[in-house]
Amino acid sequence: MIRAARLTLIMPTKNSPVREGAPMQFTFFHLMPWPDLKEAPTEWPAPNAEFNGERGTELYDSYISTMADAEKYGFDWVAANEHHYSPYSLMANCNLVGAALAQRTKSIKLAMLGNLLPLLNPIRVAEEYAMLDVMSGGRLVAGFVRGIPHEYIAYNVAPSESRARMREALALITKAWTEPEPFGWESEHYQYRSVSIWPKPRQKPHPRILLSASNEESAEFVGEHTAMLGMALIADLDSALKAIETYRRVARGYGFDPSPDDIVIMQQAVIADSDEQARALMEPALKYFHGVLMRPQLDAQRIVLQKSRFFGTDTQREHFVGRLSKLKARTLEDQIEAGSVLCGSPESVVKQIKRLRQHLGAGHVILNMKIGNIADGVVRRGMELFRDRVRPHVAAL
Amino acid sequence: MDTFETYEASLSTGPLRLRIAGQGRPLLHLHSGAGPRVSPVVTALTERHRVIAPVTPAFDGTPAHPAVKDFEALADLYAEFIEKEIGEACDVMGESFGGRTALWLAVKHPALVDHLVLEGPTGFRQPTKDWPTPGDPIARDRMLYARPERAPNETRSAAEQAANSKAAEGYANGITYEAKLAERLPEITARTLIIMGHEERVIPIEAGHLLKARIQHSHLTYVFGAGHAVEFDQPKLVGQLVADFLERGESFIVREADVA
Repeated sequence: MIRAARLTLIMPTKNSPVREGAPMQFTFFHLMPWPDLKEAPTEWPAPNAEFNGERGTELYDSYISTMADAEKYGFDWVAANEHHYSPYSLMANCNLVGAALAQRTKSIKLAMLGNLLPLLNPIRVAEEYAMLDVMSGGRLVAGFVRGIPHEYIAYNVAPSESRARMREALALITKAWTEPEPFGWESEHYQYRSVSIWPKPRQKPHPRILLSASNEESAEFVGEHTAMLGMALIADLDSALKAIETYRRVARGYGFDPSPDDIVIMQQAVIADSDEQARALMEPALKYFHGVLMRPQLDAQRIVLQKSRFFGTDTQREHFVGRLSKLKARTLEDQIEAGSVLCGSPESVVKQIKRLRQHLGAGHVILNMKIGNIADGVVRRGMELFRDRVRPHVAAL
Repeated sequence: MDTFETYEASLSTGPLRLRIAGQGRPLLHLHSGAGPRVSPVVTALTERHRVIAPVTPAFDGTPAHPAVKDFEALADLYAEFIEKEIGEACDVMGESFGGRTALWLAVKHPALVDHLVLEGPTGFRQPTKDWPTPGDPIARDRMLYARPERAPNETRSAAEQAANSKAAEGYANGITYEAKLAERLPEITARTLIIMGHEERVIPIEAGHLLKARIQHSHLTYVFGAGHAVEFDQPKLVGQLVADFLERGESFIVREADVA
């Protein structure tokens, strides 16, 4: 049930020219994983004794260069996100990476997908995003996410407060970006008696906002806020479609009719010269990702979910847990067939992207190409193939 | 907490009914167009203030004052009351319709108003922005409250409510935008707290911006999860905010350490 009176209506900022019938858009996403773990940590948090600073510097250099080059490879956005206490991702603050990219790129949109809003000081987020928008000449896409359960242990925030904090913080940030006068803010979790941020964002009324959804409950939240919908780790196309339909229906109730470019699907992707090569590269990378990097997260998730109301209902909790288990347990072939990953030769990936467009109505696909310990050279080859042999065939779907 | 007791003051234009409770620095609380109601916020304020809540003439069956026909005259009436009965400047808090009265009081009699608290004050709605007038209580509650389940039980009959509405309309004289008051806002010297519900549906957001921009020592605060009736929608947040403001003045923006 939607309680209109409790909503924050974010002004749809259709500053992008991409609308119905317009070209597909693509994002290059990087998780910044640690690729060198020999064994899977058995408990959360993963011990950090193995972390090596020199190797870390090398990785940041390589990863940030690859991300900056996404502009040359014809991607529309380059994206980063935030995770804590984990070799799964070295991106504790994606805004730092965004700042580096703002200096190294000229035209590509910088998508922060996003800051873990319930864990952070919302004023700080409003300020950092505004800085990124101004520094980049108005290229920020502002993603806000609730995050995955284990992050709440890292930042000592009650998981059961996550939804309320998300809602309040989002409303506060929108105010901080758009109010013409200094103001104060009173809500259950956030009280600021005097707010007037410098700088304000360059894009008016504010940068486009993307919110993530993995189920119907969160899709409803995105629709209420008339934001772009981001979905990752899709278990199968039919359940993803169900959430997208909910998003569309709810958004229309708020006077916003989402177009394909408002539906953003993230997929782990390996594009290689042949199907066989792509599979041979992706299989061990997924094994490392799910079996090594994700293992401590799953442990933390188990602890959090058994003792908190991170999800509103048992059904939602089961859906979340089931989705990850399903992804982990399936063969690569099953995942390709289900539409959970993009994998293959350029010709095969073109077909897989067409299916996402046709089945889900998605007009924007995020490619997560650095999977686990896959080599950076493989990622760059995939980016070349994307530019030369994928994008030209899916641009005008 | 004190219980409100009813008094009557004799003023030059007629009698004024009052409800008074609490001890401490006097606080004049001016009610909304719905008529006098004691919210949890007002009740809590009686712990620190002597809360004086007048019943606007012609509301709740009280006699109208023939010489008091608009908000300016109402402001003069309350100025006379403050001078005669309180004897010094006091804090003034106005809810919606009462906020409009409080603004006129602060403009015309600045020496009598110490701190000013405005909750969604009316009077700055451009005629072009036509807000629907709800024809039934459910629609009205949806418009006034973000949390309709927190609306107070209405003890007045439909006829009494209609009479209160008519009285409120009488003072407005069909004026929805007070251009003269808007021009004179810079004359207000009282430190002012303007409270707007984040889900406000009655007062345009621009009204808050106008007040903040033109009242020289002012603070505009949004209360999340509140509509127009902020005192009822979010009594805890609003009560703490107002108490802090009245207690600490401009320093209310500085957070105090949490006491274990």
